[in-house]
Amino acid sequence: MFNEFHHQVRGRGHELDGTRGQDRTQYLSRGGVQAICLADGAGSASHSEFGAQAVADEGCAALVEQFEQLVASVDGGQIKIELLERLLTKVNMLAERHGRDVHDFASTFLGVAVSGDKFLGAHVGDGVIGYLKDGDMRVISAPDNSEFANQTTFVTSHGAAGSMRLFRGSLQGVTGFILMSDGAGDSLFNARTRQLAAACEKLIVAVGAAPARLSQNSKHKKQWRKFIDVRVRNATKDDCSIGVFGRSVAS
Amino acid sequence: MALNIGADDLVENPTPRVPVALCLDTSGSMMGDKICELVKGVNLFYDAIDEDDDAHDAAEVSIVEFNSAVSLIQDFASIERLNRIDAIDATGGTALGEGVNLALDTLEKRKSTYSNAGVLYYQPWLVLMTDGKPNGRPDELERAVHRVTELVAQKKLTVFPIGIGADVDMNVLARFSPNRPPLRLQGLSFREFFEWLSKSVSRVSRSTPGDTVKLDLEGLAGWAEL
Repeated sequence: MFNEFHHQVRGRGHELDGTRGQDRTQYLSRGGVQAICLADGAGSASHSEFGAQAVADEGCAALVEQFEQLVASVDGGQIKIELLERLLTKVNMLAERHGRDVHDFASTFLGVAVSGDKFLGAHVGDGVIGYLKDGDMRVISAPDNSEFANQTTFVTSHGAAGSMRLFRGSLQGVTGFILMSDGAGDSLFNARTRQLAAACEKLIVAVGAAPARLSQNSKHKKQWRKFIDVRVRNATKDDCSIGVFGRSVAS
Repeated sequence: MALNIGADDLVENPTPRVPVALCLDTSGSMMGDKICELVKGVNLFYDAIDEDDDAHDAAEVSIVEFNSAVSLIQDFASIERLNRIDAIDATGGTALGEGVNLALDTLEKRKSTYSNAGVLYYQPWLVLMTDGKPNGRPDELERAVHRVTELVAQKKLTVFPIGIGADVDMNVLARFSPNRPPLRLQGLSFREFFEWLSKSVSRVSRSTPGDTVKLDLEGLAGWAEL
């Protein structure tokens, strides 16, 4: 089993504007499968924080419920279509309930699930997913920023399935994973070298070394949240969110 | 286990850039008040960017002048490296097409520099200001119109064609701006225009993925006629 930590914080830009944060995270553990997801709501989409929450929730449910099927499938293209359809169905329902266009709920999606000796994950849009394997911090999925800094692909974008990155593999030698929105990436991902900051490894190791059952207000989680709320948040004006899986080397 | 993360464990990424290419008519007809007000406006633009926390780190400006010839009088640079302009000589003809082509070439080079250095950037802006009718090479003018309209159609460039005075050929400027009519400066309201431009650059530099940066059309009042 992996320990988990996920957290989102409203960026300084939204605080100044008086608008809500648009990053959302979620974690789900069921039937021996653990999933952690995050979504970054689109800046110009009026209800993107709701879309982001729906995508993070549904992403966790999909990865947990369909883990075996997704891991066993040989048709990656079909997996992308099915996974995206499931996320979009959820967002469409939300849009209908609010009586708004689905694009008002646009968000990115990043998710990782683990079970037994396997992992899988999916990524649409910007943000970064990395993992710590054999002591090396590596990027699994880098940001998809198109050409310009304020452009990326969202779950609701035309062609989202084509731009989805899907990955899976063995957990042998894997100590943990880290998922981050672009705001957190401002201080945790080097855009020039395309490498993750050393802080990512330290965070994964810390999460992995913590006691397995932690309350939300344990001193460990308080300390990790403080790191995101202060250090990571102060390095950007954007919202910041992060999801971490960690396990001790012995496990 | 204590989380011991120092400054060295974090990265500091460069601020995404907003490249702004000013392509300015410095032909003989600009002589006198027009060129003086234009120079003052550009310097005010620099000052306004300098004072804006967001635009300060993001904006990079280049200046191409065109008269009978064209020249790059300021390559792309951040505000800290931009020298205020004392004066610009206004003389000769209006090689507008050649000027726009040089501005676009400079922009392409800058985008390559950003990409090679891993620096993100926003959609570039081209500000084209003229008071007359182009009289450079017709093929260069056609090439410039084609390049600009292609980039605008691909959403890779935002263009602001600005006419100055009564003698400007607005029809030619309109060819550079398929999505929106060119603007005619009211009198010599360069100051108001550049104030508006600096605020617009600041808004772009604050935008995040998914943001649609809409132009502040109400802010046009007082300096431009559509």
